[in-house]
Amino acid sequence: MKDIQQSDRFQRVVKTASIHYDMEISKTMAAIADNFSDNPAAMKYFYEKHRDLIRSESDGHQPLKKIISTLCIHVPVELILAVGAIPVRSCTGAYSTDQIGAEFLPAKSCPMVKSTLGAISFNLLPGKIQPDLIINPATCDQKKKLGDIDEELSKKFYLLEMPSTKDSEEAREYWLQTVFKLIRKLEYVTGNKLTAKSLKLAIRKVAKAQQLYRKFNQLRTAAPVILGKDALLVTNAFFFDDIDRWSLYLELLNDELENRIKTNFHVVNERAPRILLTGSPSVFPNMKLPILVEELGGIIVSEEFCSSSRMLWDTVAVDEWHLYDMIPAIADRYLKPSTCPNFSPNTDRKRKILAAIEDYRIDGVVYQTFTGCQLYDMETRVIGKALEDAGVQTLFVETDYSPEDIGQLTTRVEAFLHSLKHNRKKLAL
Amino acid sequence: MNILQNIKYKADNANVSRLRFWIQLLTFILIAYGGYLFIHIGSQVPTFACPYNQGSPGTCYLIAMQHGLHLKWSELVSYRGLAFFTGFLSFIGFFIVFNKAWCGFICPLGTLQDWITKLRYRIGIRFSRYDSLSFQKLKKVKYVLLILLIAIPLGMSNSFFGLPPINHDMQAPFCQVCPGRTIMPLASADTSQFFIDFTNKTTLVMSTLGMLITGLFFVGAFAKKRFFCFFCPMSALQFMFSRIGILRLTKNGSKCTKCGNCYRVCDVGILGIAEDITSKNIVKDDCMMCFKCVEACPEDDCLDVKVFNAKIFSSTQEGFFKRYNQQDKLVKKNE
Repeated sequence: MKDIQQSDRFQRVVKTASIHYDMEISKTMAAIADNFSDNPAAMKYFYEKHRDLIRSESDGHQPLKKIISTLCIHVPVELILAVGAIPVRSCTGAYSTDQIGAEFLPAKSCPMVKSTLGAISFNLLPGKIQPDLIINPATCDQKKKLGDIDEELSKKFYLLEMPSTKDSEEAREYWLQTVFKLIRKLEYVTGNKLTAKSLKLAIRKVAKAQQLYRKFNQLRTAAPVILGKDALLVTNAFFFDDIDRWSLYLELLNDELENRIKTNFHVVNERAPRILLTGSPSVFPNMKLPILVEELGGIIVSEEFCSSSRMLWDTVAVDEWHLYDMIPAIADRYLKPSTCPNFSPNTDRKRKILAAIEDYRIDGVVYQTFTGCQLYDMETRVIGKALEDAGVQTLFVETDYSPEDIGQLTTRVEAFLHSLKHNRKKLAL
Repeated sequence: MNILQNIKYKADNANVSRLRFWIQLLTFILIAYGGYLFIHIGSQVPTFACPYNQGSPGTCYLIAMQHGLHLKWSELVSYRGLAFFTGFLSFIGFFIVFNKAWCGFICPLGTLQDWITKLRYRIGIRFSRYDSLSFQKLKKVKYVLLILLIAIPLGMSNSFFGLPPINHDMQAPFCQVCPGRTIMPLASADTSQFFIDFTNKTTLVMSTLGMLITGLFFVGAFAKKRFFCFFCPMSALQFMFSRIGILRLTKNGSKCTKCGNCYRVCDVGILGIAEDITSKNIVKDDCMMCFKCVEACPEDDCLDVKVFNAKIFSSTQEGFFKRYNQQDKLVKKNE
């Protein structure tokens, strides 16, 4: 692969892919930013961040710090920050890289895995970074097998082992050992030692970001002051942005939203159906479904996605600020509250969705499954049954990264939103 | 109503652990020296108000219970039986007001252990935890002790299965091994309880056990938070009646994300506080109602402290982060 990578032809292909990726970004950003009025002014930063997604910040120069790429929310960000490295979550949503990834994986694989692999192999990760280590967790089979082609890609992968259940004590113990192993690996790669002081600082940093995210969540669920497509960009920026800078800009956005609530400035009509998004995660620029829902008059008030709420919700708290308490606390935080469908049983996801429906006054649920994402597909039955029992209408959508099904999706989403509105009218009678 | 809401809001944002520290200090002084201040709170106190200590303002109910049970079967339905019954009722009366918070806020032995924990934390020595299997086994010890504490006095006055009555040197058997008997008198600078009694085999064994357990109390508390509480028969006795307590700790499972913060800060390591999403009443048998879990819970109204059914302290996102950031300042100051 190394020889191929240096060939002219390969470079040309990479360039073409990069142009396609950039076009995809421009198109999505146009749909998100330009086609909607009333976007919060503080969103400008997040828009810019995404417009420049694959433009290198450092003009090709690697920063002094090591870059650790993560492929999942189960990788503790605190540990990466504590050893003085930069965490970049590299899950990708681009159709152009999806097609590249398809070269390596079976055609029926999950588009997110294919797209991520494509982005890794063509060095099209956010900011065009060259990660020093890519941590792929053994969650779903497809992510697990990603690392197997490390030699062909000449990239360094590290398999983060995961238990397939999270409720047993054995799983907890196993996961704690895995976290210890990860720490040793991170220390080796960065050459820095994990200390109580650095870890405490990292935990604090992440906690601050989480506090702001919770505030943000409170504001957007209290009144329709921001659309879900913007909220998704905010959480998506957390993937690759500097955590302090991200927190700063989210604080500005929160202030603006607070003002909007005070002055009763709403982005949609009070009667717009309130939607909860769940299932396979929407990662930028694959914002097809969320944009569609909001273009057609709905508002996404909450997501149960590993690209948003699941990533930022729970905060590491400890009793004693020493490593012996902090590390198990981090391990528990990254295992126990996760509602990833790779765990069985996964009743927590059902509970979380039902709680969100009640707390955020949800009218309908849109359940997104990527073609090839078996785990979310399999959970549609259990979740669907629970939602049916709760009397909440749900739209199950199977889609992928290709723009081909947009016409069919439009019809389905439109009909769904219409029926939600109709239901409300009936209730009012 | 608005004033009440305001007070509740302040309570939710309050640092209960700090308040608890001061209450513990106050109650420790009261229980160690209250007698000198002419305070008397009776002989059915549901905590280690040890009368071996000159300054104790009352008597631990375990003593009263052991003495009260020193009766023949026939005496059960007599004035002695009635005396035991009324004594028991007044124990319950004391107990239900604070429920298990007697352990977390008032018990002098608990307070001592918390101070030892603070000392260990300052020095920077790690604590230990039981693995869940040994924990499940160990927590039964206190029930065994409670049964023995009831059965032995009865066995002294009656014959079980035709066996001869138990030796009278076994009187008040738990007191003989209780660390409270040796430690509480130290508050009055009285070291006379540190002895091994060579009178006969029974006294030799019991007093040696007592000294060993006293030693274990200090060593254990240094390694493990609230070490002695796992074996405390008072805790077992209290737990049996905790359901009728006026003070309650409840959980709304649907709000729980299982983040495990509550379990992390729990001094007695109750895993159920994080994992149990079905029980409403979340007071498990080792719980001492210190409410650290409520402080550490970031979900609104997931954990509630109630008096009857009125919430007096609830977990809130705002309160959680307020305390979290407060802690940061404290940690910085220490460095």
